[in-house]
Amino acid sequence: MATEALKRQIAGKWQNAFARLNRDQEGITGLLAFSEAWALATEFLHPRDLNGSMANKELDMVKVRLAVETLSKSKMLPILLENFLEDMRKQQYLITRDVNQFMLQYEETEDVHHIARLVYRILEWYRAWVPITELGHTILSAYTLTFQTHVYSILPPSFSRGFKKLVNATFDLAQSPVPPPWLPPTPPALQSPVPPPRPDLPLWSAFEQLGLLDRYESLISSVCYEHIEAHILETCSKRWGERMLQPLREWMTNRIVPWMVMPYARGARSAEEARSMLQGVGSRFDFHVCKTLSDLRTREIFDIIIDFPDSQPALEDLKECLQRVDQRTQLVQTLRKANRKRLLHPGADTKDILTQYVSIIRCLRLVDPPGVLLFKVADPIRRYLRERPDTIRCIVASLVGDGESGDSLVDENEPIQPLQQMQVEDYTDPSWEPEPIDAGPDFRTNKPSDVISTLVSIYDSKDLFVRELQVLLAQRLLAITDGNFDRERRNIEILKIRFGEAALQVCEVMLRDMTESKRTDQHVQSQKHMMLHPTIISRHFWPPLQAGKFAMPGQFKLIQDDYAREFHSFKQDKKLRWLPHLGTIRLEIELQDRTIPVDVPPLEAAFIELFSEKDTWTVDELIARVGSVDRSAAIKSLTTWVDMGVLKEEISNQYVLLEVAEDGSSVSTGGAPPRPARVIEEVSAVLTVEQQQAEQMRVYWKFIEGMLTNLGTLPLDRIQTMLKFAPGYDRTIEQLGAFMEAARREGLVTVANGMWKLSRT
Amino acid sequence: MKVHVKNWHAIAQWRWDTGASDVDDDGEGDVCGICRVPYEGCCPSCKMPGDDCPLIWGECSHVFHMHCLLQWISTSASKQQCPMDRRPWVTAERKVDANAAR
Ligand SMILES: [Zn+2]
Ligand SMILES: [Zn+2]
Ligand SMILES: [Zn+2]
Repeated sequence: MATEALKRQIAGKWQNAFARLNRDQEGITGLLAFSEAWALATEFLHPRDLNGSMANKELDMVKVRLAVETLSKSKMLPILLENFLEDMRKQQYLITRDVNQFMLQYEETEDVHHIARLVYRILEWYRAWVPITELGHTILSAYTLTFQTHVYSILPPSFSRGFKKLVNATFDLAQSPVPPPWLPPTPPALQSPVPPPRPDLPLWSAFEQLGLLDRYESLISSVCYEHIEAHILETCSKRWGERMLQPLREWMTNRIVPWMVMPYARGARSAEEARSMLQGVGSRFDFHVCKTLSDLRTREIFDIIIDFPDSQPALEDLKECLQRVDQRTQLVQTLRKANRKRLLHPGADTKDILTQYVSIIRCLRLVDPPGVLLFKVADPIRRYLRERPDTIRCIVASLVGDGESGDSLVDENEPIQPLQQMQVEDYTDPSWEPEPIDAGPDFRTNKPSDVISTLVSIYDSKDLFVRELQVLLAQRLLAITDGNFDRERRNIEILKIRFGEAALQVCEVMLRDMTESKRTDQHVQSQKHMMLHPTIISRHFWPPLQAGKFAMPGQFKLIQDDYAREFHSFKQDKKLRWLPHLGTIRLEIELQDRTIPVDVPPLEAAFIELFSEKDTWTVDELIARVGSVDRSAAIKSLTTWVDMGVLKEEISNQYVLLEVAEDGSSVSTGGAPPRPARVIEEVSAVLTVEQQQAEQMRVYWKFIEGMLTNLGTLPLDRIQTMLKFAPGYDRTIEQLGAFMEAARREGLVTVANGMWKLSRT
Repeated sequence: MKVHVKNWHAIAQWRWDTGASDVDDDGEGDVCGICRVPYEGCCPSCKMPGDDCPLIWGECSHVFHMHCLLQWISTSASKQQCPMDRRPWVTAERKVDANAAR
């Protein structure tokens, strides 16, 4: 029963189909015409083998079009398409074979030429199988989709690599006037009556027709990104002496933008349209230029700073880049890391750390005038410097133009101005931390802007600087023998502006002592000509001097007394007190066979004077004659004369005068007298601030010893807390730590796990 | 051997010759009884020590910065007496020659 209904249904369908195929023609003529049309159309559409016969080409296109029209009227196009796609699937192996062959060649040679040939070959396949437009858009896009799906499914992973290379090669192609030999000839389908202005253009057409532009969009972008990066690394690395950003942007305009037209604005019908199409992608690439340059300069930042001011253009570039890309955090982190690794370590010279710090100040102010970056980078450097014992001395030496240590920290062009008081930042406060957001609202207020103020502000008070200044000035003044201290006077005038008159008052007294000494000496010499020219100083106004007490013997004593007498008769209510161990004496040692001119410290002079009394002395006899001198100093002095061939250590601890030079050690007496040998060692007469502090620290040793005796072991901070009960104790825990470390080296204490104890327990 | 001294750059301190035998004194030295500053320092109103801020000797043997004493004497509370012993202040004649011929 169902069969009856089914039969009727089938019969009905058949009638419909027949009517459709026969198109109301007489008899079956319509049907016959349909078969003919179907046969022609399918033959025309049949995906042929490119390597096989070209017979299809000879089909009469007029007939083909008519046949398509017939099929269309019979509403048979969908079936034709289905049939065509089915045929395609059967023929796809032909493409697969070609693809595999080209890819095999590529993988063997890594020659991008094979990729170009492959692309052109696939395009040939595509063009060979493409249905005519009369079949309608639907068929065309179904064909394209099927074709591309197949091609993409058979391309091996190595294709991406090769394609990337090929795209990368287009940068050069775009610049070549003629196609390079490796580029395969343009296939007929892409040939135009006029040769393309750029050899890369046919490739782009092929890419587009095969859908490669869409499929590999991000790959093409990454090729461009990498190309930009490579160019920047190549042209800008370590080139800090000129601005690079502008040339890079010109390079983008001249080289990259024309290239970009092909992948990103091919469809544009006018320059205006192209411009708007390129705008978005262009801006992304410009961003990438800034990012890449900024990354490069960030990696190089430490050396750029070393190179400053020569590297100023690089910093200006960086500043501009940072306005476009937010890489400030990276810059801060990189520089902090580099500082930690390359600067803030025990092997670095304090002077070098300071020099680099000052350069960092100058450089980061240039990059970031508000000073946010500097604020973040400076903190660890400042903390580190604060712990170094010689930081202040180095700053001070630079302040007064320490000629020997090279570049001054102070920029000569920077106006001399009073120190700017800064708000004390309490970095030891546990709640203090660098602001997480880039700029705190008030971080810059009260920040000093000149370099010296910034350096001095490393410390809470400027008193330490003033003390160190006094020490340095004293050292220099006492070393002056020609009476010319104009340089120190100029320095003091400058320092007065910075530190204030009151702080430098003591230095004024020192300078006054220098002039007074000169005047006094002129008077004394007018009364009685003497070889002695003392610097007479006001005690209490000079930093503590090295202790040393001995009596100059023989003629030296007579000269001293003579001078003191003349002084007293000139300044009747004053008297002189010699500091015998300080100063320099120029002598001429007249021996039987030679005369030796020499500049020596007083102790050397004292000893050689004694040898004019008798030829042989033991060390103990010599020491007994001059008074309190420690043995090592005595032996050192004697060695000076031994080295000059004047004395000889006859037996241990006994020296004899060599009136006649020993063989080989004779000093020439003929001709011009030899220049005085300078044996003045660089031991300073003035106690450094450090030495003064160590001296004072010894007073507290008794307290520490008592504590450790009673309590056994103590951590440093407990010792510090308890020492605060000792009268006048004002040391920092760092200073205490340094002292304890010194005590440990002397074997007085030991330390384990931060706990200190006396050695003898 | 003969040792010839061609030039000697020495360092010395000056001291007030107070007549006291403090030749070997290494400490701070005596202080002015009025301002408690050492004699070789200067009084609170001076900046330069020495000739600019001299000492004054009393017959009573007390010694002060001259400026300190003059300021003290000018106050009515001083009654023109030495601030240390309250005896009438008489400035001593200094016998410099005796010291010079040491
Ligand atoms: Zn006084
Ligand atoms: Zn005075
Ligand atoms: Zn008195």
